[in-house]
Amino acid sequence: MAAELAINAHARYFKHCLTMLPAETTSLDATRMTIAQLCLVGLATLGRLEDTLPEKRRAEMVEWIYAQQIPNGRGGYGGFRGGSLFGPHDRCEYEPANSGNLAATYSALCSLLLLGDDLSRVDKQAVVGAIRSLQQESGTFAPHPGTTERDPRFIYCACAISTILGDWSGVDKDAATRYIVGCCNYDGGLTQMAFQESHGGHLYCCIAGLSLMGRLDALPSRQRTLQWALFRQSGGYQGRANKAPDVCYSFWVGASIEILGGHDLVDSSTVVHFIQQCESTIGGLSKWPGYLPDPLHAALGIVGFSFHRPEQFPHISPELLLPAS
Amino acid sequence: MRIDGCSDIEDPAPLAQQAAWQDVEPIAQDDGPSPICPIAYTDEYREMMGYLRAVMAAGEESARALALSGRVIQANPGHYTAWVYRKRLVEALASDIGAELDWVSALSAKHPKNYQLWHHREALVERLWPARAALALPEDQRLANPVLRRELQFVGSALDEDAKNFHAWSYRQWLVARYELWAQELAFVDTMISQDVRNNSAWNQRYFAVLRGRPATTQLDAALARAEVAYAVEHIQFAPNNDSPWAYVVGLLLRHAPAALHDELLPRIRALAADPGFAPAMSSTPFYWSALVDIHEQQARALPPAERAPLLDEARAICDRLATQVDITHNRYWRFRKTAVGAA
Repeated sequence: MAAELAINAHARYFKHCLTMLPAETTSLDATRMTIAQLCLVGLATLGRLEDTLPEKRRAEMVEWIYAQQIPNGRGGYGGFRGGSLFGPHDRCEYEPANSGNLAATYSALCSLLLLGDDLSRVDKQAVVGAIRSLQQESGTFAPHPGTTERDPRFIYCACAISTILGDWSGVDKDAATRYIVGCCNYDGGLTQMAFQESHGGHLYCCIAGLSLMGRLDALPSRQRTLQWALFRQSGGYQGRANKAPDVCYSFWVGASIEILGGHDLVDSSTVVHFIQQCESTIGGLSKWPGYLPDPLHAALGIVGFSFHRPEQFPHISPELLLPAS
Repeated sequence: MRIDGCSDIEDPAPLAQQAAWQDVEPIAQDDGPSPICPIAYTDEYREMMGYLRAVMAAGEESARALALSGRVIQANPGHYTAWVYRKRLVEALASDIGAELDWVSALSAKHPKNYQLWHHREALVERLWPARAALALPEDQRLANPVLRRELQFVGSALDEDAKNFHAWSYRQWLVARYELWAQELAFVDTMISQDVRNNSAWNQRYFAVLRGRPATTQLDAALARAEVAYAVEHIQFAPNNDSPWAYVVGLLLRHAPAALHDELLPRIRALAADPGFAPAMSSTPFYWSALVDIHEQQARALPPAERAPLLDEARAICDRLATQVDITHNRYWRFRKTAVGAA
């Protein structure tokens, strides 16, 4: 049977991205940690991580990641940075110049695990302390101090980090759950904040967050939320009603459906077909058929695909975006 | 990269050659021996980042630092620390907030989907005219205030560019809720819906405008429920196979006026489905039949258990129709849904 995904081409694509990104991606400079995580989980899902990255390179990558950890971080400033663009930690009088970021910390921990590290050099106290400082009264989380951004993306990161470290002391689960329940919308979908439009990305962050906290039962109607998620399928998955399908929602919405127990209710062949249409001839996947690929759409398309081919691909945890052990 | 309207560059020469920067020792980026996903920076970006690291490390608060933060943000609007630094500089230097808002407007033309930009704007507006002061005035006077007029115009033009820009709608909700501009919002929503009846963001905003921040348990009065049903059905009539008005009206009523599902919505959609001009479109759209399942289930809930069977049987029969004819893509869901009818 012919391979359904161009595994070699995608593995080469991820290797290429890990080695060098072009100047056009400068706006990703503060999120390199997340791009790294996506490339690594993409390779892991393809079963090509160890082939593509020899042990020596993996060890060097681990060093780069740990170099982004804020040593002795306190308050909201602990954790990992999104890249090396911020400069050395020890020369800063101005604290925000070098703060951790919850998304970067989550990506760092996942990347370390994918590279075979045991997390023994993670300053767990600082990370959990940062999570605690960044939770808001409303239950949501800011990514770092000094911003009014605070939405389910960072609730998810806080929950994922707490799960990985086995330490939930930084998260007030009742408050976080309350916030997420407030994000349930009239159409059964979930979103960023009460009254905003139901959105597949925030759906994932809310559902995965609840699941990690063991609070899925807090959803007012699991059936209506599952229906909203399933109805995003029109060929591939759309992120919002009446929008074009985009391959990254194969993960955001696809994984949410897995978590909600709806795997058997999906029209697998249509999802798989759409993801295949998004494969690029130069390797990687693009958001829409025929566009240029990028690491996010490549990784999430491949993981979304793997949910429908369990006999061919390793099982990736929908809640953590890591190989399930 | 320079963006029109973001006039931070007074001297285009490299910083190392500028007299104004002679006293600063740039801090080189240390990416270590084996970096992950290194970016092939332009020389210009590499240089300005070296100087930004230096001024941030020293905690410098100056006009040149502000200008430099602006240049960096234009090249990399995801530099979240540069945004924090810029916000602090604007405050410390007592910069003209109006000018800063102009700068953000120019940036957003190039980067409309950047999160930080909208939050920076929110902080500026709150400083320029704190909500506490604004709310001391009646709504029509608040609307006449140049600060709010400018913001409504700004978000309006962002939506002209992309009527579904999630950040723009989110910002608009912040503005309307914070400054309690409820009275004008439905008219705006109606305009957006008339421009594109399939714009789900606009329908979602309608829910926002009708609820006015009240809790999910709020019950709407019968007249308002009836008016919203009429509005939704008018738009369903225009294009029956459109997710948004169906999701809106069923969702609104289920939460806030459940009796109106049977009393107001059901007769109107039944009438439309019986009308020869609309019957083919109505009977072939999954949204019509799905609404009937919701309506019958809700109706059954209002009856004593012994009397529910006919409605629930009807709902199950519709699930069969959806699974086998009208919505085959979701046939597994409709078979599952059939087994769950009447369970909750």
